[in-house]
Amino acid sequence: MRNMDSPSMIICRCEEITLQEIVETASRFRCSAREVKLRTRAGMGFCGGRTCRMLVDAIVRQTAGEPAEPLPDAFSLTYRPPVRPVSFSELGGETPDERQN
Amino acid sequence: MNGRIDRHPILGPLPPRKQIRFQFDDRTYLGYEGETIAAALLANGVRALRRHEASGTPRGIYCNIGHCFECRVTVDGKDNIRACLTPIRDGMVVRSGRKLPAPFVVGGDSL
Amino acid sequence: MTDVLIIGAGPAGLSAAIACAENGLRVKILDEFVKPGGRLLGQLHQEPDGKWWNGIEEASALHERAMSLGVELVLGASVFAVRRKEHGWQAESTKGVHQARVLLLATGAAEWPVPIPGWTLPGVMSIGAAQVMTNVHRVRVGRRGVIIGINLLAAAIARELQLAGIELAAMVLPLRSTATGESANPMHVMKSLSHIAPLAPSAWIRTAGKLLKYPAFRQLGVRFFPRGGVRIWGIPVHLRKCAVEIYGTSQVKGVRIADVTPDGRVVPGSDKDVPADFVCIAGGLYPLAELAAVAGCPLMPVPELGGFVPVHNETMQTPLPGLYVAGNITGIENARIAMAQGTVAGLSISLDNGKGGAGMRERLEQAVDHVRRLRESAPIRFHPRVSEGRAKMAEAWRQRQADQGAST
Repeated sequence: MRNMDSPSMIICRCEEITLQEIVETASRFRCSAREVKLRTRAGMGFCGGRTCRMLVDAIVRQTAGEPAEPLPDAFSLTYRPPVRPVSFSELGGETPDERQN
Repeated sequence: MNGRIDRHPILGPLPPRKQIRFQFDDRTYLGYEGETIAAALLANGVRALRRHEASGTPRGIYCNIGHCFECRVTVDGKDNIRACLTPIRDGMVVRSGRKLPAPFVVGGDSL
Repeated sequence: MTDVLIIGAGPAGLSAAIACAENGLRVKILDEFVKPGGRLLGQLHQEPDGKWWNGIEEASALHERAMSLGVELVLGASVFAVRRKEHGWQAESTKGVHQARVLLLATGAAEWPVPIPGWTLPGVMSIGAAQVMTNVHRVRVGRRGVIIGINLLAAAIARELQLAGIELAAMVLPLRSTATGESANPMHVMKSLSHIAPLAPSAWIRTAGKLLKYPAFRQLGVRFFPRGGVRIWGIPVHLRKCAVEIYGTSQVKGVRIADVTPDGRVVPGSDKDVPADFVCIAGGLYPLAELAAVAGCPLMPVPELGGFVPVHNETMQTPLPGLYVAGNITGIENARIAMAQGTVAGLSISLDNGKGGAGMRERLEQAVDHVRRLRESAPIRFHPRVSEGRAKMAEAWRQRQADQGAST
């Protein structure tokens, strides 16, 4: 962390994961953004990582000493459906089905 | 202070709209047809829409367009509805999310 | 069965729907917002010629045209998954499952967050949230606010808030941290502002803007930036102050603001509390490409386009058959370009589905050309090097085609 970093500043709003937790996890385990996500739950909250995904990525890269801009060909965090939280009733198709033949 | 922008130098005056009565956490509020829950509550000076499930810190809108889910409320019994995407309806009953009990966590609330 | 399913009823989605419907295709649009128009709805600014760009009127015109052509519109539908099927594509949403032969993703952009201590308090919102509350819902976001982040989006929306009679106490930089990067560096911000200075309301800022091209002048500008800030539309803009913390218990009460050195470090002991009841965070936009990723479309990082962008060509095709993209999902530009791209996508889809008859290919080429001309003549760009970004994507597409050609 840089000298001015506020360690308790929240990065992942959904899970309330702080900057300190992310930086410490990244440096302790020398791991990828994806592994930081799995270890801290940052990016795994209600919004599906939409708000903090880029931040976690940038922080992990900087902690590892890499530039904050995305690397060409690298895509560290994948998207899996559903990309919005969805209720079981919605998944089960309780809402009108518009399948047409 | 009026919570709405009734007159605007470029967009013009707000057209007349039907008034809507809805409830949020057992209080009745007035809004206008077409307003989202988040907008109607903000016009009434209400910013906090829920409490964080673990820490209990108050939360309100952040993105206002359905991306962040900070504004999730319970509407007519259905959970996790985004207040920023849901138009108010007459008689709608809205409830804010509370901090959840955490009986196995040191310092957490018991059941 | 629907011929074309479009996700997003913004300027790109609506324009594409119109072009498809005009060529006899059956179109359905899904959008999760309460009104059609997407982020175009909140836009309100003056162009260099003095005319007002009124997003509500623009969106209304597009919507009316689309409806008159029989386009089906489903609002309040959040699409959470898309899947390739034998007949084409399937989209699963909170308002049912929808099938079509062709799928167009026009989901626009999302905002980069800029974390600041205290940013989860009620009353702190993204700058886009303030735009929607003000111009779309006509609700006051507060009495007196602070904007954190100095960039084009922040400036445009600051003006919109002011027009609506909302007081802005200051526009400042974010606290420098591992999470905020260059947006907290006065020199970097000064450089990025130099390309928008030509649009500033005051003549001396416009003049200064021309000199900002020179690094030496930028250094002077940052070193001797006025302590009281530079007023733009009466709003004090502080390139040498940052927001250290947002404070309050149940909601925003104010922002602690401190002086910073030319490279963004806080000057100890310089902090002051600025009372405010709302705070807007302005971090910039990136393409909202999650559904493209879920669909299996490859994404490519292109910083000049705002982030990860679905691989596509000038006619808005992606590598996946029947999957198209248009608008800010392809890269951050203005609404006129989004509309023009939507038209390209609509014509492209029509041509690929045998519609439009003779001359269709030429119409498509003209539409592609129109996008290029709009880009060249745009008075302002979100990213100054957007054309380079477009060129990178075009090269990547060419390379893909070449690789595939070589392997067959």
